[in-house]
Amino acid sequence: MSSFGQGKKRGSGANNDDVGIMARLSRAVSNSPITDATKRAANDAAYVSKKLLKSTGKAAWFAGTTFLILVVPLIIEMDREQQFNELELQQRSLLGSSPPLSPPK
Amino acid sequence: MAGLVPPGTTTIPADASKAAHTKAEEKTDYMNLPCPIPFEELHREALMSLKPETFEGLRFDFTKGLNQKFSLSHSVFMGPTELPSQSAETIKIPTAHYEFGANFIDPNLMLIGRMLTDGRLNARVKWDLTDNLSVKANAQLTNEPHMSHGMVNFDYKGKDYRSQLQIGNGSLFGASYIQSVTPHLSLAGEIFWTGQHLKSGIGYAARYETDKMVAAGQVASTGMVALSYVQKVSEKVSLASDFMYNYMIGDVTASVGYDYILRQCRLRGKIDSNGCTAAYLEERLNMGLNFILSAEIDHKKKDYKFGFGLTVG
Repeated sequence: MSSFGQGKKRGSGANNDDVGIMARLSRAVSNSPITDATKRAANDAAYVSKKLLKSTGKAAWFAGTTFLILVVPLIIEMDREQQFNELELQQRSLLGSSPPLSPPK
Repeated sequence: MAGLVPPGTTTIPADASKAAHTKAEEKTDYMNLPCPIPFEELHREALMSLKPETFEGLRFDFTKGLNQKFSLSHSVFMGPTELPSQSAETIKIPTAHYEFGANFIDPNLMLIGRMLTDGRLNARVKWDLTDNLSVKANAQLTNEPHMSHGMVNFDYKGKDYRSQLQIGNGSLFGASYIQSVTPHLSLAGEIFWTGQHLKSGIGYAARYETDKMVAAGQVASTGMVALSYVQKVSEKVSLASDFMYNYMIGDVTASVGYDYILRQCRLRGKIDSNGCTAAYLEERLNMGLNFILSAEIDHKKKDYKFGFGLTVG
Protein backbone atom coordinates (compact mmCIF):
# COMPACT_ATOMS: atom_id res chain seq x y z
CA MET A 1 0.00 0.00 0.00
CA SER A 2 2.66 2.35 0.89
CA SER A 3 4.49 1.32 -2.23
CA PHE A 4 1.29 2.03 -4.13
CA GLY A 5 1.11 5.54 -2.86
CA GLN A 6 4.82 5.87 -3.36
CA GLY A 7 4.40 4.78 -6.91
CA LYS A 8 1.92 7.49 -7.48
CA LYS A 9 4.05 10.06 -5.87
CA ARG A 10 6.97 8.76 -7.77
CA GLY A 11 4.98 9.16 -10.96
CA SER A 12 4.34 12.79 -10.37
CA GLY A 13 7.62 13.48 -8.67
CA ALA A 14 9.63 11.74 -11.35
CA ASN A 15 10.47 15.13 -12.92
CA ASN A 16 10.62 16.98 -9.66
CA ASP A 17 13.04 19.54 -10.98
CA ASP A 18 10.43 20.85 -13.43
CA VAL A 19 6.79 21.88 -12.87
CA GLY A 20 5.16 18.67 -13.99
CA ILE A 21 4.66 16.96 -17.28
CA MET A 22 0.96 17.71 -17.61
CA ALA A 23 1.38 21.39 -16.78
CA ARG A 24 4.32 21.66 -19.15
CA LEU A 25 2.38 20.01 -21.93
CA SER A 26 -0.69 22.15 -21.51
CA ARG A 27 1.43 25.29 -21.30
CA ALA A 28 3.24 24.32 -24.48
CA VAL A 29 -0.03 23.84 -26.26
CA SER A 30 -1.64 27.07 -25.05
CA ASN A 31 1.37 29.26 -25.74
CA SER A 32 2.04 28.02 -29.27
CA PRO A 33 1.44 30.29 -32.24
CA ILE A 34 -0.96 27.80 -33.71
CA THR A 35 -3.32 28.26 -30.78
CA ASP A 36 -3.10 32.01 -31.12
CA ALA A 37 -4.01 31.85 -34.75
CA THR A 38 -6.91 29.50 -34.01
CA LYS A 39 -8.20 31.81 -31.28
CA ARG A 40 -8.05 34.81 -33.59
CA ALA A 41 -9.83 32.89 -36.33
CA ALA A 42 -12.53 31.77 -33.93
CA ASN A 43 -13.07 35.37 -32.76
CA ASP A 44 -13.32 36.61 -36.30
CA ALA A 45 -15.73 33.86 -37.23
CA ALA A 46 -17.92 34.69 -34.24
CA TYR A 47 -17.92 38.40 -35.11
CA VAL A 48 -18.74 37.80 -38.76
CA SER A 49 -21.48 35.32 -37.98
CA LYS A 50 -23.06 37.72 -35.47
CA LYS A 51 -23.06 40.51 -38.04
CA LEU A 52 -24.45 38.17 -40.68
CA LEU A 53 -27.21 37.05 -38.38
CA LYS A 54 -28.13 40.63 -37.56
CA SER A 55 -28.19 41.73 -41.17
CA THR A 56 -30.12 38.65 -42.21
CA GLY A 57 -32.59 39.47 -39.48
CA LYS A 58 -32.91 43.03 -40.70
CA ALA A 59 -33.31 41.92 -44.30
CA ALA A 60 -35.91 39.35 -43.28
CA TRP A 61 -37.88 42.01 -41.40
CA PHE A 62 -37.72 44.40 -44.33
CA ALA A 63 -38.73 41.74 -46.84
CA GLY A 64 -41.44 40.34 -44.59
CA THR A 65 -43.20 43.61 -43.86
CA THR A 66 -42.94 44.79 -47.45
CA PHE A 67 -44.38 41.49 -48.66
CA LEU A 68 -47.20 41.83 -46.16
CA ILE A 69 -48.09 45.30 -47.34
CA LEU A 70 -47.67 44.87 -51.07
CA VAL A 71 -48.38 41.27 -51.94
CA VAL A 72 -50.87 39.86 -49.43
CA PRO A 73 -53.77 42.21 -50.32
CA LEU A 74 -53.07 41.53 -53.97
CA ILE A 75 -53.32 37.77 -53.50
CA ILE A 76 -56.51 38.13 -51.48
CA GLU A 77 -58.13 40.41 -54.04
CA MET A 78 -57.12 38.29 -57.01
CA ASP A 79 -58.53 35.24 -55.29
CA ARG A 80 -61.81 37.03 -54.65
CA GLU A 81 -61.94 38.21 -58.25
CA GLN A 82 -61.44 34.67 -59.45
CA GLN A 83 -64.19 33.40 -57.14
CA PHE A 84 -66.51 36.15 -58.33
CA ASN A 85 -65.79 35.26 -61.95
CA GLU A 86 -66.46 31.58 -61.35
CA LEU A 87 -69.72 32.37 -59.61
CA GLU A 88 -70.78 34.61 -62.45
CA LEU A 89 -69.86 31.99 -65.02
CA GLN A 90 -71.80 29.39 -63.11
CA GLN A 91 -74.83 31.63 -62.81
CA ARG A 92 -74.67 32.55 -66.46
CA SER A 93 -74.45 28.94 -67.57
CA LEU A 94 -77.30 28.06 -65.19
CA LEU A 95 -79.54 30.79 -66.53
CA GLY A 96 -78.59 30.10 -70.10
CA SER A 97 -79.15 26.36 -70.12
CA SER A 98 -82.38 26.05 -68.10
CA PRO A 99 -85.63 26.95 -69.92
CA PRO A 100 -87.75 29.73 -68.37
CA LEU A 101 -89.96 28.29 -65.63
CA SER A 102 -93.68 29.00 -65.95
CA PRO A 103 -95.60 29.66 -62.74
CA PRO A 104 -97.77 26.72 -61.66
CA LYS A 105 -101.45 27.34 -62.37
CA MET B 1 -39.54 43.60 -118.03
CA ALA B 2 -41.60 40.88 -116.39
CA GLY B 3 -39.51 38.18 -118.01
CA LEU B 4 -36.37 39.62 -116.50
CA VAL B 5 -37.78 39.65 -112.97
CA PRO B 6 -36.83 36.42 -111.13
CA PRO B 7 -39.81 34.30 -109.97
CA GLY B 8 -39.04 34.83 -106.29
CA THR B 9 -39.79 38.53 -106.52
CA THR B 10 -43.12 38.33 -108.34
CA THR B 11 -44.98 38.85 -105.05
CA ILE B 12 -43.14 42.09 -104.31
CA PRO B 13 -45.20 44.44 -106.47
CA ALA B 14 -48.43 43.29 -104.79
CA ASP B 15 -46.89 43.71 -101.33
CA ALA B 16 -45.50 47.09 -102.26
CA SER B 17 -48.94 48.32 -103.27
CA LYS B 18 -50.46 47.01 -100.04
CA ALA B 19 -47.69 48.67 -98.02
CA ALA B 20 -48.27 51.90 -99.91
CA HIS B 21 -51.96 51.76 -98.98
CA THR B 22 -51.31 51.24 -95.27
CA LYS B 23 -48.64 53.92 -95.35
CA ALA B 24 -51.15 56.35 -96.75
CA GLU B 25 -53.55 55.56 -93.89
CA GLU B 26 -50.81 55.85 -91.29
CA LYS B 27 -49.36 59.01 -92.74
CA THR B 28 -49.86 61.53 -90.03
CA ASP B 29 -52.04 64.47 -90.79
CA TYR B 30 -50.07 67.22 -89.12
CA MET B 31 -52.98 69.57 -89.39
CA ASN B 32 -55.25 67.37 -87.32
CA LEU B 33 -53.24 66.46 -84.25
CA PRO B 34 -55.09 65.63 -81.04
CA CYS B 35 -55.27 68.14 -78.23
CA PRO B 36 -52.68 67.43 -75.57
CA ILE B 37 -53.43 66.97 -71.88
CA PRO B 38 -52.96 69.97 -69.57
CA PHE B 39 -49.42 70.65 -68.41
CA GLU B 40 -50.07 69.96 -64.74
CA GLU B 41 -51.33 66.48 -65.65
CA LEU B 42 -48.15 65.51 -67.41
CA HIS B 43 -47.29 62.74 -64.99
CA ARG B 44 -50.94 61.90 -64.32
CA GLU B 45 -50.83 58.16 -64.90
CA ALA B 46 -47.62 57.73 -62.96
CA LEU B 47 -48.84 59.79 -60.04
CA MET B 48 -52.05 57.77 -59.84
CA SER B 49 -50.08 54.60 -59.14
CA LEU B 50 -47.12 56.00 -57.32
CA LYS B 51 -48.64 58.65 -55.10
CA PRO B 52 -51.82 57.28 -53.60
CA GLU B 53 -53.43 59.51 -50.99
CA THR B 54 -52.31 57.61 -47.95
CA PHE B 55 -53.50 58.86 -44.61
CA GLU B 56 -53.20 57.84 -40.99
CA GLY B 57 -56.20 57.30 -38.76
CA LEU B 58 -59.90 57.12 -39.43
CA ARG B 59 -61.56 58.83 -42.35
CA PHE B 60 -65.25 58.93 -43.07
CA ASP B 61 -66.79 60.73 -46.06
CA PHE B 62 -70.45 61.07 -46.73
CA THR B 63 -71.73 62.79 -49.86
CA LYS B 64 -75.41 63.44 -50.28
CA GLY B 65 -76.81 64.75 -53.51
CA LEU B 66 -79.71 67.10 -53.06
CA ASN B 67 -80.21 67.90 -56.69
CA GLN B 68 -78.74 66.91 -59.99
CA LYS B 69 -76.19 69.68 -59.67
CA PHE B 70 -75.91 70.35 -55.97
CA SER B 71 -74.53 68.06 -53.24
CA LEU B 72 -73.40 68.35 -49.67
CA SER B 73 -70.61 66.43 -48.06
CA HIS B 74 -69.77 65.63 -44.46
CA SER B 75 -66.39 64.29 -43.53
CA VAL B 76 -64.80 63.21 -40.25
CA PHE B 77 -61.11 62.65 -39.71
CA MET B 78 -59.45 61.41 -36.53
CA GLY B 79 -55.81 60.59 -36.36
CA PRO B 80 -52.27 61.83 -35.86
CA THR B 81 -51.10 64.64 -38.09
CA GLU B 82 -47.45 65.14 -38.83
CA LEU B 83 -45.88 68.46 -37.98
CA PRO B 84 -43.06 69.65 -40.18
CA SER B 85 -39.98 69.50 -38.00
CA GLN B 86 -36.41 70.40 -38.76
CA SER B 87 -34.90 67.40 -36.99
CA ALA B 88 -35.00 63.87 -38.31
CA GLU B 89 -37.67 62.94 -35.74
CA THR B 90 -41.26 62.94 -36.93
CA ILE B 91 -43.57 64.75 -34.55
CA LYS B 92 -47.17 63.62 -34.64
CA ILE B 93 -50.05 65.29 -32.89
CA PRO B 94 -53.46 63.61 -32.65
CA THR B 95 -56.06 65.76 -34.31
CA ALA B 96 -59.70 65.36 -35.15
CA HIS B 97 -61.84 67.51 -37.35
CA TYR B 98 -65.16 67.62 -39.12
CA GLU B 99 -65.41 69.07 -42.57
CA PHE B 100 -68.57 70.36 -44.17
CA GLY B 101 -68.63 70.84 -47.91
CA ALA B 102 -70.94 71.95 -50.66
CA ASN B 103 -70.52 71.22 -54.37
CA PHE B 104 -72.29 72.75 -57.30
CA ILE B 105 -71.49 71.03 -60.59
CA ASP B 106 -72.76 72.37 -63.89
CA PRO B 107 -71.34 71.59 -67.34
CA ASN B 108 -69.82 75.07 -67.44
CA LEU B 109 -69.38 75.98 -63.82
CA MET B 110 -68.09 74.03 -60.88
CA LEU B 111 -68.02 75.42 -57.34
CA ILE B 112 -66.59 73.47 -54.42
CA GLY B 113 -66.31 74.72 -50.88
CA ARG B 114 -65.07 73.04 -47.73
CA MET B 115 -65.17 74.37 -44.19
CA LEU B 116 -63.21 72.65 -41.42
CA THR B 117 -63.69 72.83 -37.67
CA ASP B 118 -60.11 74.01 -37.19
CA GLY B 119 -60.94 77.23 -38.98
CA ARG B 120 -59.74 76.46 -42.49
CA LEU B 121 -61.75 77.18 -45.60
CA ASN B 122 -61.01 75.69 -49.03
CA ALA B 123 -62.73 76.97 -52.12
CA ARG B 124 -62.37 75.94 -55.77
CA VAL B 125 -64.00 77.44 -58.80
CA LYS B 126 -63.81 76.22 -62.38
CA TRP B 127 -65.62 78.29 -64.95
CA ASP B 128 -65.68 77.49 -68.68
CA LEU B 129 -66.26 80.86 -70.26
CA THR B 130 -66.24 79.57 -73.81
CA ASP B 131 -65.33 76.27 -75.41
CA ASN B 132 -61.68 77.18 -75.35
CA LEU B 133 -61.17 79.52 -72.44
CA SER B 134 -61.61 78.45 -68.84
CA VAL B 135 -60.83 80.09 -65.54
CA LYS B 136 -59.87 78.15 -62.44
CA ALA B 137 -59.38 79.58 -58.99
CA ASN B 138 -58.61 78.04 -55.64
CA ALA B 139 -58.15 79.57 -52.25
CA GLN B 140 -57.26 78.32 -48.81
CA LEU B 141 -58.02 80.63 -45.91
CA THR B 142 -56.81 79.97 -42.38
CA ASN B 143 -57.01 81.64 -39.03
CA GLU B 144 -53.27 81.96 -38.76
CA PRO B 145 -51.89 85.12 -40.33
CA HIS B 146 -49.81 84.83 -43.49
CA MET B 147 -50.86 81.24 -44.07
CA SER B 148 -53.73 81.88 -46.48
CA HIS B 149 -53.13 81.60 -50.17
CA GLY B 150 -55.04 81.74 -53.40
CA MET B 151 -54.35 81.12 -57.05
CA VAL B 152 -56.08 81.90 -60.34
CA ASN B 153 -55.43 80.05 -63.62
CA PHE B 154 -56.48 81.12 -67.08
CA ASP B 155 -56.44 78.24 -69.58
CA TYR B 156 -56.73 78.60 -73.31
CA LYS B 157 -57.20 75.43 -75.34
CA GLY B 158 -56.33 75.58 -79.03
CA LYS B 159 -56.69 72.90 -81.70
CA ASP B 160 -53.52 71.06 -80.82
CA TYR B 161 -52.06 73.14 -78.02
CA ARG B 162 -52.88 74.41 -74.57
CA SER B 163 -51.59 77.44 -72.78
CA GLN B 164 -52.04 78.48 -69.18
CA LEU B 165 -51.38 81.61 -67.16
CA GLN B 166 -51.18 81.32 -63.39
CA ILE B 167 -51.34 84.14 -60.86
CA GLY B 168 -51.00 83.44 -57.16
CA ASN B 169 -50.89 85.56 -54.07
CA GLY B 170 -47.47 86.46 -52.79
CA SER B 171 -46.85 87.63 -56.38
CA LEU B 172 -46.43 84.24 -57.96
CA PHE B 173 -46.65 84.20 -61.74
CA GLY B 174 -46.43 81.21 -64.01
CA ALA B 175 -47.13 80.38 -67.63
CA SER B 176 -47.02 77.10 -69.47
CA TYR B 177 -47.53 75.95 -73.02
CA ILE B 178 -47.94 72.42 -74.36
CA GLN B 179 -48.12 71.48 -78.05
CA SER B 180 -48.79 68.22 -79.85
CA VAL B 181 -45.98 67.56 -82.26
CA THR B 182 -47.01 64.14 -83.55
CA PRO B 183 -50.11 62.08 -82.70
CA HIS B 184 -48.15 60.50 -79.86
CA LEU B 185 -45.60 63.10 -78.79
CA SER B 186 -46.23 66.45 -77.15
CA LEU B 187 -43.71 69.00 -75.93
CA ALA B 188 -44.17 71.65 -73.31
CA GLY B 189 -42.42 74.54 -71.65
CA GLU B 190 -43.10 76.58 -68.56
CA ILE B 191 -41.73 79.64 -66.80
CA PHE B 192 -42.47 80.93 -63.34
CA TRP B 193 -41.48 83.82 -61.14
CA THR B 194 -42.02 84.32 -57.42
CA GLY B 195 -41.88 87.79 -55.95
CA GLN B 196 -41.56 86.70 -52.36
CA HIS B 197 -38.38 84.68 -52.69
CA LEU B 198 -37.30 86.46 -55.90
CA LYS B 199 -36.85 83.17 -57.72
CA SER B 200 -37.58 82.47 -61.34
CA GLY B 201 -37.29 79.34 -63.34
CA ILE B 202 -37.90 77.76 -66.68
CA GLY B 203 -38.71 74.19 -67.45
CA TYR B 204 -39.26 71.85 -70.38
CA ALA B 205 -41.27 68.68 -70.62
CA ALA B 206 -42.06 66.00 -73.15
CA ARG B 207 -44.68 63.28 -73.15
CA TYR B 208 -44.95 60.30 -75.45
CA GLU B 209 -48.04 58.18 -75.21
CA THR B 210 -49.47 55.22 -77.06
CA ASP B 211 -52.30 52.86 -76.20
CA LYS B 212 -50.07 50.71 -74.10
CA MET B 213 -47.62 53.07 -72.46
CA VAL B 214 -46.96 56.62 -71.44
CA ALA B 215 -43.50 58.08 -70.99
CA ALA B 216 -43.00 61.60 -69.68
CA GLY B 217 -39.95 63.63 -68.79
CA GLN B 218 -39.55 67.02 -67.20
CA VAL B 219 -36.53 69.23 -66.55
CA ALA B 220 -36.61 72.50 -64.64
CA SER B 221 -34.00 75.11 -63.88
CA THR B 222 -34.68 74.66 -60.15
CA GLY B 223 -32.60 71.53 -60.56
CA MET B 224 -35.39 69.02 -60.86
CA VAL B 225 -35.35 66.21 -63.39
CA ALA B 226 -38.36 63.92 -63.34
CA LEU B 227 -38.91 60.95 -65.65
CA SER B 228 -41.81 58.56 -65.50
CA TYR B 229 -42.93 55.54 -67.43
CA VAL B 230 -46.26 53.72 -67.20
CA GLN B 231 -47.01 50.48 -69.00
CA LYS B 232 -50.52 49.17 -69.32
CA VAL B 233 -49.95 45.46 -69.03
CA SER B 234 -53.61 44.54 -69.42
CA GLU B 235 -56.88 46.39 -69.03
CA LYS B 236 -56.86 45.67 -65.32
CA VAL B 237 -53.19 46.08 -64.48
CA SER B 238 -50.75 48.88 -65.06
CA LEU B 239 -47.21 49.21 -63.80
CA ALA B 240 -45.46 52.52 -63.27
CA SER B 241 -41.96 53.64 -62.47
CA ASP B 242 -40.60 57.04 -61.67
CA PHE B 243 -37.19 58.66 -61.34
CA MET B 244 -36.63 62.01 -59.69
CA TYR B 245 -33.28 63.73 -59.46
CA ASN B 246 -32.41 67.15 -58.13
CA TYR B 247 -29.06 68.15 -59.54
CA MET B 248 -28.66 71.11 -57.24
CA ILE B 249 -29.09 69.12 -54.05
CA GLY B 250 -28.03 65.73 -55.35
CA ASP B 251 -31.15 64.00 -54.12
CA VAL B 252 -32.20 60.92 -56.09
CA THR B 253 -35.38 58.91 -55.74
CA ALA B 254 -36.63 56.04 -57.85
CA SER B 255 -39.88 54.25 -57.29
CA VAL B 256 -41.83 51.39 -58.80
CA GLY B 257 -45.52 50.74 -58.37
CA TYR B 258 -48.54 48.87 -59.61
CA ASP B 259 -52.21 49.68 -60.05
CA TYR B 260 -54.74 46.86 -60.19
CA ILE B 261 -58.26 47.88 -61.15
CA LEU B 262 -60.46 44.88 -60.48
CA ARG B 263 -64.22 44.79 -60.46
CA GLN B 264 -64.72 44.97 -56.76
CA CYS B 265 -61.64 46.89 -55.75
CA ARG B 266 -58.74 49.06 -56.74
CA LEU B 267 -55.35 48.25 -55.27
CA ARG B 268 -52.28 50.44 -55.61
CA GLY B 269 -48.86 49.69 -54.22
CA LYS B 270 -45.43 51.21 -54.55
CA ILE B 271 -41.90 50.80 -53.25
CA ASP B 272 -39.29 53.50 -53.14
CA SER B 273 -35.54 53.74 -53.13
CA ASN B 274 -35.77 55.62 -49.83
CA GLY B 275 -37.01 52.42 -48.21
CA CYS B 276 -40.62 53.56 -48.20
CA THR B 277 -43.47 51.29 -49.29
CA ALA B 278 -47.10 52.27 -49.52
CA ALA B 279 -50.32 50.52 -50.41
CA TYR B 280 -53.84 51.82 -50.90
CA LEU B 281 -56.91 49.64 -51.25
CA GLU B 282 -60.39 50.82 -52.16
CA GLU B 283 -62.95 48.08 -51.93
CA ARG B 284 -66.53 48.35 -53.05
CA LEU B 285 -68.65 46.77 -50.36
CA ASN B 286 -71.96 47.77 -51.82
CA MET B 287 -73.40 50.26 -54.27
CA GLY B 288 -71.96 53.63 -53.29
CA LEU B 289 -70.17 52.21 -50.24
CA ASN B 290 -66.39 52.05 -50.41
CA PHE B 291 -64.02 50.75 -47.79
CA ILE B 292 -60.53 52.24 -47.82
CA LEU B 293 -57.34 50.84 -46.30
CA SER B 294 -54.09 52.72 -46.49
CA ALA B 295 -50.64 51.70 -45.32
CA GLU B 296 -47.29 53.43 -45.51
CA ILE B 297 -44.08 52.04 -44.04
CA ASP B 298 -40.90 54.11 -44.02
CA HIS B 299 -38.12 51.76 -43.01
CA LYS B 300 -35.45 54.42 -42.92
CA LYS B 301 -37.22 56.83 -40.62
CA LYS B 302 -39.08 54.01 -38.85
CA ASP B 303 -42.37 55.78 -39.42
CA TYR B 304 -45.45 53.57 -39.80
CA LYS B 305 -48.78 54.96 -40.92
CA PHE B 306 -51.94 52.92 -41.21
CA GLY B 307 -55.38 54.23 -41.89
CA PHE B 308 -58.84 52.98 -42.64
CA GLY B 309 -61.95 54.69 -43.81
CA LEU B 310 -65.35 54.52 -45.33
CA THR B 311 -66.75 56.55 -48.21
CA VAL B 312 -70.46 56.76 -48.76
CA GLY B 313 -71.94 58.27 -51.88
